[in-house]
Amino acid sequence: MPASLRYDSGTLLLEGTDEQTIVTIFGQGPWTWDGRVSAWRCEAVYYAAVRAALRAHPDHQVIDEVPPPPRVGWKQVNLPELRPEQKQAIEAWQTAGSRGVVVMPTGTGKTEVALAAMAEARVSTLVVAPVRDLMYQWHRRILAAFDYDAGIIGDNTFNLRSITVTTYDSAYIHMPVLGTLFGLVVFDEVHHLPGKCRREAALLCVAPLRLGLTATPERSDGRHQDLDQLIGPTVFRMSVAEAKGRTLADYNVVRVPVALIPEEQARYEEASQQVRLFMMARQKEQRGYAWEDLCAESGKDPEARGVQKCYFLMKSIEDRAAEKLRVLEDIFRLHAGERVIVFAGSNAMARDVSLRFLVPTLLSHSRKNERLKVLEGFAAHRFPIIVANQVLDEGVDVPEAKVAVVIGGHASTRQAKQRLGRILRRSGQARATLYEVVCEDTHDVKRSQQRRRSDAYGRPRHRRL
Amino acid sequence: MLTGDLAIVVYERGRALPDRLTRRTHAHYVGFTERMLAAYRDGAGQRRRDLHRAVETIFADEPDCDARRVRAFCKLLDDECDYDTDRTGRAAKLRLRVFSAAAPYQPLVREPDRLFERSATEVKTTIARELGRPWEEIEAALYADVIDQQRLKSFQGGADPLALLARYNVSQVQACLYRAERLTITAASDFKTILRQAKLARLLHEIERRGPTSYHIRLTGPASVLKGTRRYGVSMARFLPSLLACKGWSLEASLQAPWGQAVKLLLSHRDGLKSHLEDPPAFDSLLEEKFAERFGTEREGWRLVREGSVIHQDQHVFVPDFTFQHEDGTEVLFEIVGFWTPEYLEQKRTTLRRFRRHQILVAVPERSLHDNATVPEGYLVYKTAIKPNAVLEALERVREGGGVTRTTD
Repeated sequence: MPASLRYDSGTLLLEGTDEQTIVTIFGQGPWTWDGRVSAWRCEAVYYAAVRAALRAHPDHQVIDEVPPPPRVGWKQVNLPELRPEQKQAIEAWQTAGSRGVVVMPTGTGKTEVALAAMAEARVSTLVVAPVRDLMYQWHRRILAAFDYDAGIIGDNTFNLRSITVTTYDSAYIHMPVLGTLFGLVVFDEVHHLPGKCRREAALLCVAPLRLGLTATPERSDGRHQDLDQLIGPTVFRMSVAEAKGRTLADYNVVRVPVALIPEEQARYEEASQQVRLFMMARQKEQRGYAWEDLCAESGKDPEARGVQKCYFLMKSIEDRAAEKLRVLEDIFRLHAGERVIVFAGSNAMARDVSLRFLVPTLLSHSRKNERLKVLEGFAAHRFPIIVANQVLDEGVDVPEAKVAVVIGGHASTRQAKQRLGRILRRSGQARATLYEVVCEDTHDVKRSQQRRRSDAYGRPRHRRL
Repeated sequence: MLTGDLAIVVYERGRALPDRLTRRTHAHYVGFTERMLAAYRDGAGQRRRDLHRAVETIFADEPDCDARRVRAFCKLLDDECDYDTDRTGRAAKLRLRVFSAAAPYQPLVREPDRLFERSATEVKTTIARELGRPWEEIEAALYADVIDQQRLKSFQGGADPLALLARYNVSQVQACLYRAERLTITAASDFKTILRQAKLARLLHEIERRGPTSYHIRLTGPASVLKGTRRYGVSMARFLPSLLACKGWSLEASLQAPWGQAVKLLLSHRDGLKSHLEDPPAFDSLLEEKFAERFGTEREGWRLVREGSVIHQDQHVFVPDFTFQHEDGTEVLFEIVGFWTPEYLEQKRTTLRRFRRHQILVAVPERSLHDNATVPEGYLVYKTAIKPNAVLEALERVREGGGVTRTTD
């Protein structure tokens, strides 16, 4: 009986081959003997390499039972003429055997690069995006480019088609059954992929063609190196500095410090005092007593739990400071008639802003239809102001906002770059402005300083409004 | 099941100890669960956030209470709830309407001046008049679809505080198993249920006989052979309630603790964790039950054990209905083929063919035979019931002749 190669929920199985043959064909290759099923097994990601090795040894007959991915014929292709750097990116990817990562700053047309790659590959394609908003955005872009209504897996939907869009989380859950269906997989914001679970989406599928897209491939945990195995090497890289002023608009950063109002200040200080006293008392008993110890203790001690609550209260007071709403009014007045995006630090703050100014929100739970209407309304100037929480942090196309206001959020370099990318869309000569509204003398200030360490922010101008 | 962040596990000397509330250690929790159930039972119309606050309040003065425990109870209770999730999008429609009406007056200022003549209050009053509802009501409805703000329609969680505590304990073990790389079960009965449920959870087994009716069953996932992986932890957690419903088992789960070291979770039927599933049935059919009743536990030196042996080849498993063990050590498997469909018969045939090297005596109904068929060696034909004496005769033939020589078909 000739040997056979097949797919088994995220892995490949090679049956009917002895060890000698394995060594001859694959050398130190990826296979491991699996006594549970009496066959050789490896991760599905090695499929392309396995195929290449088999082709190099035609005398050993192995029947490949892995179904080939369906071909795709486009009804039409409406893609804009690619800019030179986009063309370079595509060529570099194709030269590398259509496996690799393309690094381009936000706003320089990564999506168009991927769509052009899809147009040429003409094979079933899965697009994996970090969040639902982005998944829907890919769906719209594919519809516009190819007049193709792509399938959707995620957001409580399972609609599988030759071209399908999904999220990292859904890909991780469903990949064992999707693993052989696609010839090309596009990983958007690919820096998410090396995470412990998310990487499985790349490991469990056989797709020989792989394209990773990101503006910021580096990860603080160093795992970005794993992308080599999961996708392929970085085949093209364009830096923020190259893009600034050319494809992206120039921008200013204005930091606006606000003070807590007396009532908030009193509550903040009381809470802060409690935390301080508790921590000092504990540290006297136990050197190096830290926040983690307090959290561990809170299960057994109502006092520790009370202190924990005080800490969360402090964060909430900072996040939802009333003065931030007053400053927002000033910024809105200053930019009346222009489109303004507000980034809130929490859903609660986003709703505060929405209810105070009666402006639409884009929150993580917003449904597809509403999201679409809000974005369209913003693009058409029907809604001059929108508020978002983290939704818009990454990649979601926002039509040419020239003013963005950050009123809370966390201090991560990537988030800062991505946020800037959102407002730095090219449109004529106008300079974009980013306002950062932070509470004085609180943790908010610290986070702002960390944010600015990212080179994208450059040097801010201080201004009191 | 709980989300992974709600797992409360103590790691101690290489062991994982999931949070467990017993009547001995946490007698007062019965009162807490009663109050929680009451809060949900009487909570129709309340917002999710208020229900969660009510649960928090119940535990406010309890020293021994991890915040995750409170959230875990909320999750288990929420799982039995029907909330108004606003499927038709009433709130979203209202939002678009209100925000569109306000758009021409942006920015809504607090104090009007020459540049911006409309104050927020004024615009809100105008919109309220247009919609014919007081502004307070509109404001409360604007974000009513946000998860926190959804209102409870009904609660189906029952009223038994002990059942809720039992569910909590099981869910904590399940959440602990999300980190599992491998399960090793030592079982003395209910092999069929264990292996069938493992297969349904897409786990692969390795089986090893440890004694006359004792087996080690190791469960892992396809890729486990390539690397230690937690990929199948959720499947293992899903499998757990089926195991809990069985008898006479013990479990050793190999886990990856949060700091990467290997730890074990040990569990057995004696731990008293209660499954919400029913116990597996004692017999597959009335035919088998009747036969076991008639034969008794022992007859003329032959001991009868129901589903006492597991035979296997790769991932194919066969648990014959009975095992006969003679005093002299002879062992014969006995499988009863019932009155079923042609597909069922075909499947039985494939299984018997696959395991033809084992000593299996097969009882077949007369009805399933062709006319004039000769009954081959190793088969026993019955009309409506299986007679113990006929079986004994066949068993003795095996003992004297040194084996079942069964010709297929």
